[in-house]
Amino acid sequence: MPNNKIQQITILGGGTAGWITAGIIAAEHWVENDKNSIQITVIESTEITPIGVGEGTWPTMRDTLKSMGIDETEFLSQCDASFKQGSKFVNWCRGDNDYYYHPFSLPEQYHQLNLANHWLQHKDKIPFANAVTFQAALCEEGLAPKQISTPSFSFFGNYGYHLDAGKFGPFIRQHCVNKLGVKHINDTITDINLHPNQDIKSVTTAKHGEIGGDLFIDCTGTHGLIIDKTYQIPFVSQKHVLFNDTAMAAQINYDSAEQPIGSSTLSTAQKNGWIWDIGLQSRRGVGYVYSSSHQNDDNAEQTLRQYIQSSTIKLDENDISVRKLAINPGHREKFWHQNSVAIGMSSGFIEPLEASAIALIELSAKYIAKQLPQSRSHMDIIAARYNKKFLERWQQILEFLKLHYVLSQRRDSEYWLDNTSATTIPADLAEKLTLWQSQCPYTYDSLVTEELFPSASYQYIYYGMGGETRPQFSRKIIDEQQQVNALIQQNRSKTAQLLNTLPTNRELLNKIKQYGLQNI
Amino acid sequence: MAKHELVNNVDHKDLKINTNRCTELGDNLWYTLTFPDEFRAVQAYYPIFFQKEGETGQFAPVALFGFQHQENLFLNNDGWDAGYIPITVARSPFTIGTQTQDVDGKPQQQRVLTLDVEHPRVNKDEGQSLFMEFGGNSDYLDSVAAMMEAIHHGIEANKEFAACLSELELLEPFTLDVELYDGSKHQMVGLYAINEEKLDQLPDEKMAGLVKSGYLKAIHFAMASQGNIGQLLARKNKQLGLKRK
Repeated sequence: MPNNKIQQITILGGGTAGWITAGIIAAEHWVENDKNSIQITVIESTEITPIGVGEGTWPTMRDTLKSMGIDETEFLSQCDASFKQGSKFVNWCRGDNDYYYHPFSLPEQYHQLNLANHWLQHKDKIPFANAVTFQAALCEEGLAPKQISTPSFSFFGNYGYHLDAGKFGPFIRQHCVNKLGVKHINDTITDINLHPNQDIKSVTTAKHGEIGGDLFIDCTGTHGLIIDKTYQIPFVSQKHVLFNDTAMAAQINYDSAEQPIGSSTLSTAQKNGWIWDIGLQSRRGVGYVYSSSHQNDDNAEQTLRQYIQSSTIKLDENDISVRKLAINPGHREKFWHQNSVAIGMSSGFIEPLEASAIALIELSAKYIAKQLPQSRSHMDIIAARYNKKFLERWQQILEFLKLHYVLSQRRDSEYWLDNTSATTIPADLAEKLTLWQSQCPYTYDSLVTEELFPSASYQYIYYGMGGETRPQFSRKIIDEQQQVNALIQQNRSKTAQLLNTLPTNRELLNKIKQYGLQNI
Repeated sequence: MAKHELVNNVDHKDLKINTNRCTELGDNLWYTLTFPDEFRAVQAYYPIFFQKEGETGQFAPVALFGFQHQENLFLNNDGWDAGYIPITVARSPFTIGTQTQDVDGKPQQQRVLTLDVEHPRVNKDEGQSLFMEFGGNSDYLDSVAAMMEAIHHGIEANKEFAACLSELELLEPFTLDVELYDGSKHQMVGLYAINEEKLDQLPDEKMAGLVKSGYLKAIHFAMASQGNIGQLLARKNKQLGLKRK
């Protein structure tokens, strides 16, 4: 019989998923020098190179790093990381160099009033994001979200990070092993062994024999050693909604040591997909995500190369080495099965349009850390809830990413025609789109707690893409007018003040390298 | 506009420095940089806090003269009402410049004394002479040179002192809440002070390190200096003509 008490957590696979999960759970549960403490073991073969995509995070990463006791200055330097304040979407509306921002900061006073209602009357004069927050202006100027005197993890503008995924996993590993009591077994897994009740009993490794556990976490990426190879949990493809199934990635050097480091992820729509462009401290990461049903690989590589050429001054075509990755858009039918949970790419994967991959890992690990069953007998209840929650989250991701496509006026390729065709739009999203014609997206749209994307994000995309709502008039809206005018005035002066005082992303990163950030 | 010149007994032969203390001569400062070697003298009159330097985010100790920009509560019609003036103020209008000079055939950065000749203190009629009749340094100039040397070493010492305090987490944000006799309240943020609880809990070997480096003395001076906040407040009430109700 399986041991009833949950004490040993065994994580299969390292990489970003494995180590973030280990770190979050250890920070919550591990007690030094206590034999009754939860013990976490990560089996990771350093011979297997992690896939290393996922170079953008959400602001949630600040809390994740802080909760693990990581020093922000050290993280920034070890992971080649920079500050990300949102995304800039170029050419998504019409393809004539149009752009809009999805910043991380909520519209001013978001939970007191819905500024969108008021902005509708001025929509021809100012883009939505600029009217409701200062952050779009900061991004446009490539400014940092803070100053050198701002303490670690604090900010003027809410931020996450751009980071080198190849360095991030090893960095977290080192911290987990040295500071959080996580055991690292550097080995390859050869077998998964079951109890008679079908729970995982142990995993067999090439050099370290059998390794047991009470809860197993499958972070083996596309291998899916437990979720796929052992339990064959069905995969739910979402390719009929989001067509992009291939990515080509390249690393580009800066033209000079002074070239600006972008404050947002630059996402430029193409005829058959979109190109990400992110700035780390020492290089850029650029990649093309596209639909292989609409464009062949050779053509796609050409698209990427052209983009790179046009965005750099001195670059030899031969210096660009392009790596191809397959994306199977979709997720597992469930994630927690028996005494195992799949986290990271083993649970599902979708194009990185809103950098949801790492965020979902953080949320999954946090759920497990907070709801960790004390014994096996309570595990099935938590598993069922977890599965419901994360299926909802996948639905939200799907719906929110699709929103970026459906409002486009582009009709310059089959890809855009297909993307905007009603038959590819999930029913829940179609319902929202109907509703938003007569009322602004707001908090009432969220039917679940701990929503993945706040309704403010829907506002940024909907109005950024030119979505229409018939202006409403009500007693409340008229009463709010004075408050709104003051707020808009305040946002304007705050914007001007921050534009004057904040350093550029690169200036701040250089300063941090020299002086470090203070913790208070 | 400031115009800094290398001090020399040709161009500056006849110059005098007005060392009176008043707003017109730029003494309306609400704080100034200080450093551990000066804490003993400073803490007798002024509260010592720590501030972050805007350019580096690093902590540096400051002596407080007022509660807001351009407010120096020690200034009155008779000058500066305190027995000691911190040397980063007393040195005005001199600064340190660097100059490359050949030493044994190798170019080396040397510190040199420079003077802002456009500063309102600089004149030909009133105050302390820079040079004596035949070109030798006046005692005043020698004392200024010594101050500049002390400031240079003080700034270097501050870096190590601040790094030590940060590492031991001995600083904490300090919000200075001020209430005047008329009931009006003011709040100052951006100040940091010694975290006494952390200091009390410091392991013995760390404490021994603080004693050895002399930092413990500086820390105690900084802590004791907070008693001067009350006197600063009294000056403010007096200046505004407020009486205790």
